[in-house]
This record gives sequence, C-alpha cells and structure tokens, in this order.
Amino acid sequence: MNFQTFKEAVIARCGALGIADYELYYQAAEATSVGFFQQEINQFSSHAEGGVCLRCIVDGKMGYASTEELSEPEALRLVDTAADNAAALETAEPEFLGEGGQRYEDFTPTLHPLPSTETLITAGLATQKAIYAADPAVIDGSSTQALCEKSITAIYNSRGLDLSYVNHIAGLVAVAVVSDGAEMANAAEIKLGDFAAIDREALAAKAAAQAKAKLGGEVPETGLYPIVFGPEAMADLLQTFSGIFSAEAARKGLSKLAGAEGTAIAADIVTIVDDPFHPDSPCPQPFDAEGSPTRRKFVVEKGILNTLLYDLKNAHLAGKTTTGNAAKGSYKSPVGIRPFTMTIAPGDLPPEEILAKAQGGIYIDSLTGLHAGADSVSGDFSLQSAGYLIQNGKKANHVKNFTVAGNFFDMLKSITAVGSDTQVPKPLGTTAFGAPTVLVEKLSVAGK
Amino acid sequence: MISLELCRRVLGRALATGADYAELFAEHTADHAIHMISSRVDSINDAITSGAAVRVYKGLRSVMATTVDKSEAGLLRCAAQAADALGQGDAPMNIVLRERCFGNVHPAKIVPSSVQNAEKVAILKDGYFAAKEYAPCISQVSGTLKDCDRNILIANSEGLYTQDRQISTRLSLNAIAEKDGQTQTGVFSPGRRMGLEMFETIDPKAVGIRAAKQAVTMVNAGYCPAGVMPVAIENGFGGVIFHEACGHSLEATSVAYGRSQFGDKLGQQIANPKVTAIDDGTIPGAWGSINIDDEGHPSQRNVLIENGILKSFMIDKFNARRMGMAPTGSGRRQSYAFTPTSRMTNTYIAPGTDRNEDIIGSIEYGLYAKEMGGGSVNPVTGEFNFAVDEGYIIRNGVICEPVRGASLVGNGRQILMDIDMVGTDLDMGQGVCGSSSGSVPTNVGQPLIRVASITVGGR
Repeated sequence: MNFQTFKEAVIARCGALGIADYELYYQAAEATSVGFFQQEINQFSSHAEGGVCLRCIVDGKMGYASTEELSEPEALRLVDTAADNAAALETAEPEFLGEGGQRYEDFTPTLHPLPSTETLITAGLATQKAIYAADPAVIDGSSTQALCEKSITAIYNSRGLDLSYVNHIAGLVAVAVVSDGAEMANAAEIKLGDFAAIDREALAAKAAAQAKAKLGGEVPETGLYPIVFGPEAMADLLQTFSGIFSAEAARKGLSKLAGAEGTAIAADIVTIVDDPFHPDSPCPQPFDAEGSPTRRKFVVEKGILNTLLYDLKNAHLAGKTTTGNAAKGSYKSPVGIRPFTMTIAPGDLPPEEILAKAQGGIYIDSLTGLHAGADSVSGDFSLQSAGYLIQNGKKANHVKNFTVAGNFFDMLKSITAVGSDTQVPKPLGTTAFGAPTVLVEKLSVAGK
Repeated sequence: MISLELCRRVLGRALATGADYAELFAEHTADHAIHMISSRVDSINDAITSGAAVRVYKGLRSVMATTVDKSEAGLLRCAAQAADALGQGDAPMNIVLRERCFGNVHPAKIVPSSVQNAEKVAILKDGYFAAKEYAPCISQVSGTLKDCDRNILIANSEGLYTQDRQISTRLSLNAIAEKDGQTQTGVFSPGRRMGLEMFETIDPKAVGIRAAKQAVTMVNAGYCPAGVMPVAIENGFGGVIFHEACGHSLEATSVAYGRSQFGDKLGQQIANPKVTAIDDGTIPGAWGSINIDDEGHPSQRNVLIENGILKSFMIDKFNARRMGMAPTGSGRRQSYAFTPTSRMTNTYIAPGTDRNEDIIGSIEYGLYAKEMGGGSVNPVTGEFNFAVDEGYIIRNGVICEPVRGASLVGNGRQILMDIDMVGTDLDMGQGVCGSSSGSVPTNVGQPLIRVASITVGGR
C-alpha cells in the first residue's frame, strides 16, 4: 500500500471516530552507502525506509502514533492508538495544526544529481587511495565511506495543509589513521554537497593532516587561560547548547533564557543567525514540521537576544508568531523546536590577530564527549579538549588530554573577539552549526 | 512473521550471484513512551518499527539491503538488490532451514503492550511526584516511562531459522533544583529486560527521590577543583569507566580494522592484576541481556580480562571472518535499518577483595565519584572522557563536601593499570550505548574501585 492509499484509510477512520483535527507526517528515503577498507569494498548497503506519523487532537489533547507498516489494518490501529494516547494526556495548553494556504518563501533548493553506485565506488576508492598517498604516516585502518540519499517529506492535515519537499544528500567521509610507531591517531573529514564537485584529494589530505597533528603532544598545566576556540570546536559548543534558544525549553524551565528576549545575553560582538536556506544546509526547508513558513532570522544581534525559536503552540502562549522552527528528529518524534543552520556571524578580526591577542592562552581545535560533559539547563560544561599552546601570537606546542570547563551563559558574555573567518557549517542530521574563531577571556583548564 | 518457505526462497535469491553467506533479518517492534513535565502527562508516543534486511557476504565483503515491504515481492526485491550489488557469480548453494528455539531466559510476566495507559501513568506519577515533592527547591521534574516489545526473526544460509521476543521497560526521572539562579540536574533511569513486573522490585518513588536528592545535593555544591588526583568510583553506573576506557576498544568494530590500542594484546597484561572484566548477555532480566544476538547467535558470558590479562574480544559474524576468530554472540543492531556489528551487553568489572572503607580510607586527597554520567572514547588513541554527576571531595580518608561539574579524562591503557583497588559490592547501571549499528541497551557495572591517579576536569 502506498502513502496515498494509506492516507485515505486514515482519513476514513478519523471520520468514523469523529476526529476533525488530524495530521499525517510522512517521510521516506532511499539511500546507498559504500564503505572501503584496504582499497576494497568492505560494506555496501542499500536502504529503502520510511514511515508515517499521525497526530490528532481529541478533546483538546494531541495524541501521537507512528508506523512503518502501510496497510489497511495498520491505518485503523494508528488512528485508534493516537486517539487513545490523547485521552490519557493532561496538557492544559491549546493545541494547533498548521493552516493551509500560507505563503512560503520563494525558494527552490538546488538538488544536485545523485551519484550512481558506480560513481560512489570509483570516488570512494580514489579517496582512499588519496588518503594513503597523503602521508607516509597513514596506516591500514584508514577507511572511506561514500553515500547518497534521496528523501521525501510530506505533511497533510485536516486544515488544508498539503506540502512536500524532496532532498538529496551525497558525500564522502575520509577517515585517516596514522602512526608514528609509538602511538596512533585518527581524524575524519566529511564533505556533503555536489558529489561531482568534491575535491577528493583535498578531503583526504585534510583528514591525514588532522590525524597527524594529533600525534605526540603534552598535557598542559592546570590553570586559568585565555581560550581561543577554533571554528569546529566553537560550532560544536553552539550545537551542544542550541537547545537553550527553544521557547518550549524556556517555558518549561529548562533554559535560562526564559524572559530574556530583548536583553543582552552575550558580548556585543556576538551575533547568531538561524537560516533554513543557508547555501551549505544539508536540508534546506521552505516549511517546518508544522507546515509553517521558515525564514532567516537573527537570534542574537550584537549581544541582544532578539528572539527565541518558536513553534505554533509556544508562539501562541507567548503572544507571538511562530518563527517556523518546529522540528522532528525523525518522522516518529513528537514536534519539538530546533534551529536549521545556526551560525555565529563572522566578526572583524583575522584569526591571526585573535591568536596575537590571546598571549599565554590555549587554542582549542577539538572538543569531545559533548553529550555527557555539558548540561544545557545549567550551562555548565567540562569537556575533553585538544589544541595548542599560544606563544608569541602563534600556535606552539600541541596539547591534549585536558579539560576545559566553564558555563556557556557566562562564556557568551566574556567573548572578547570574534574572527572574520567563515567555515562551512558542520552538518548534524538535517541541521548544521557554524562559527568563526572565537576568543574567550578566561576558562579553567585541568591538565597536569 | 515470515514463513520458513519464504525465508528459504529469499535466501536463495540472495545467494544467486555467488555470495557464500546470506541472512534475512525481519523485525516488528512496538515502542511506547509516556512523558511527564510540569506535573502533567505531556505526551504519549507509540511507534511501530517494521521492516527487513537481507545481508550477503562474499569473502570479506558484506552487502545489506533493507525494505519496509515485508510482502513476498518486497523481500525478494530486497534480496535481489543485495545479490546484484555483489556482482556476478556462481550457482547458489542448497539451503535447508530448520527452526531452532533458543528458549527465553527473560520471560516478561506483565507484557507492557497489554497494559492500559492509565496503569502506566500511575507508575510514572508515583516516581514523578516523589521527585517533585522531595524539596521546595525542586523547580522542575521530567519523567518518562518507556517500554519496548521487539520481535525479530533471523534466517540464514547455514540453515538457521529462529525468532525472539525482547521486552524491556525503563523509568527515567530527571529533577532540576534551583538556588540563587543556579540550576543543577539529578537523573536516575533504571531499566530491565522485563515487563512492568520490574516495579515489583524497583519502587518508582525511590527512583524519583534518588534523582531529586542528587539535584539538591549538587545545587548546594561548589565547583570541583581541577587537577590530577586519586578517584574512588562508586558501583553501578560507575562501571561506565570500563565501558569507555576499555570495552569499546575490545569490540571487533575497532579490533578487526587495526583501530584499537588493544588489538594486538591478546594474552598480554593490559590491566592491573586486580581487574577481571566480563561481558555477559545471559544475566536473567538484566537491561543489556539478550537470548540471541541479532545474528541468531546465542548470547554468552565472555571473560574479556582475567586478572589483568586480555582474554577475549567481542566479535560479530562478519568481523569474525576478518579476524579469523569465532563470533561471541555480540552482533547487535538498533533495528533492521542498521548493519549489525560487535556490541557490549552487560559489561562489568568483577568483584574483588578490597573493603569499601579501606578504599576510601586510603585516599588522602581525592574525589569520590558517587554517580557517573555518560562518556565517550576514541578506540584508536584510547582517549576517553566521562562526566561525574555527583562527586565529593575525600580528605584524609573521609568523604567530605559535594562538588559539581567534574569530568574525568584519561587514556584507556593507562587507566586500566591504575585501577589498583577493587571492592566487593558489584552493582549495575543502565545505559543506551551508541555506535555504528545504532543505539542498544547496555548495562555497565562494577564494585567500588580506586583509580590511583586520573585527570579531574573542574575549575
């Protein structure tokens, strides 16, 4: 049974049960990925998956149920289960479904042609060859993955919404493992976008160089240091704490930014933008998970919290309009709130000048364990780090196996320089996060 | 789910291009989650995961195709896709499937899917309000009661045809305490490979109280000082140290590809002689237990390290080929949509002989890590990190004031040698472990241990 027929069965069942407000969210994807090891194909996978989530309003409550099984009996079960789930809820707030007939930004995403399986294999093997060629320190263990995916997302509801979009993702992942005889190190580089245009040699060389840079190194002395976060580390921090901008988190006491709109939450050199149409977005979207139009917005402008991110319900409760940031982790997740491509806007100092300003500090280019060592409710973080000591305005000795600790809310206010460098935002699922080089006045380092 | 005869035909089609092994994995899983926040039942979600995957091997090459279409045509198409990706080859081998039943070590008494929402809500509320009412400074509580009913079928060209039903239940409570504009979180999330009878032995109220108590303790704590010091790590979820510092590096996912610092150390001393570590998927009712793994191999008890000597890796079927070793019942996948690989089940440091008071008493100045959070490791370098959710300073052999915001970082090779005292009171904690084959339930465990020296991240 296809989605159209399944949809009709759901509509009929909703009608029979007198459920007037309902919505179907459908997602399906076909994906191919090839993994390479020692110049040969190691794993090949071809996926055809997809499912549908029903949510419906019964007595003012929103019930959910989802399935991957598109059949007549399952359509009935889905409606009955969602209605039963709604009946057990105790929410007091009104529930909303998106209205049909809204105006959307005139945006046509560039759908790059997806590579054929042969192209994936050729490109993957070439990338792997390039990893070995990039540096004599590269050892077996290095691997490459080539992947592509075509997905469709559709929303249909009883209020007249009937929307869909198609997305293409293709890319290469290069993993270099290096050894100096005494120890091993590794690094992965990923590049998504127009598959034919990916510079495989550059990708391989970057992975090998990054892995090699991790060899050796010392543990820095424990103490307070000026900290320069490199673009990747800063993007990781922004991603980890991006939940603090959710209006729902704020309303539920899970973000300290409740009531902070219009006030300074960061140094006046900090501007944070959320852009659903970012040219490097892994999934540009004209509408959000509730079918609301999406738009580019300043979340923080010159240190002032311009707006939190809203969906329909939280906008209604705050007397605002939605920012079009309703999101689902997968089709089966409840609607939540998330940015699309969130970036810290570049400032005016070249990264070299930031290093010059951070005399005696530490440059951190990698943070690890962000899912465990950071708490977005309190803002506290204590994270495994690696990078370089800064001496005479330049990166000097390599340092690793230390932690940097602080509080994200305090840190936003103690950013003293923002670099003029721009980077391709790091993709994470359908979202991406980016930042320039950033200088923080002082943070605690635990080393030796 | 799928008849033996259809499985035979699907496997036959999968082998048509010269594969030397074929497998069909089919799944129908019902996940149910009730979530509370702000003292109300906020959302209830039901999700059916339903699909199949066909895998074929040819030498050291593995191909997988997945589908949500479990009809005869859908499965045969899926098998053809896998076979065709392998290329051209010889005539297929003959397959005789025999149904095998491995028995159920983890029978569920109260199958969650048979219980109405109202009854489950009552359990969740018990825990929720115990946390909410624990102290006036508890500003918010969120809670989730999840249950999962996973039905899998595995058939392969070696003649296996078997099914398993895996039922699990987990209650998670998360309390936030607030004081002078500062907030701290406490979490407790026990889970079992059982039905709702889990709450005959685990009182939901006690779960809520433990989460709330931790939040209150931490909101009244100062920041943990930074530096290198001895650390006593408590039992239960403290076992995450072994999981991260060593467990992942003993998985074939790392070892078979030369990406583990312990890959060439079999039979060698890699840990302090006090350390014996075991991965055991057969413990009745334990969160990480399985009757069979997702490749149809019965779960087993694998001694990984015995008195400091590396004895075994955790190996899945495909990587077993590359390593020239036997699979260890460790092939796991979150769902049919993931390619299975070697994973942990219930992994723990076995009880030793040191008394708890001697372990604490031996530390002049250090950290007592009572509750651990999550962590991660890079198996290539062995560098790991994890968060301390509830810590206390030890002075002159006495546990003193609580400290917040600590993390521990180190290198697996070093830390295993530095575990120089191991207590007697083994306990397990529940986690969800992420790797290339998705998220799977795993237990971590240990008695109270002492790490002679480790970097404590604080400020």
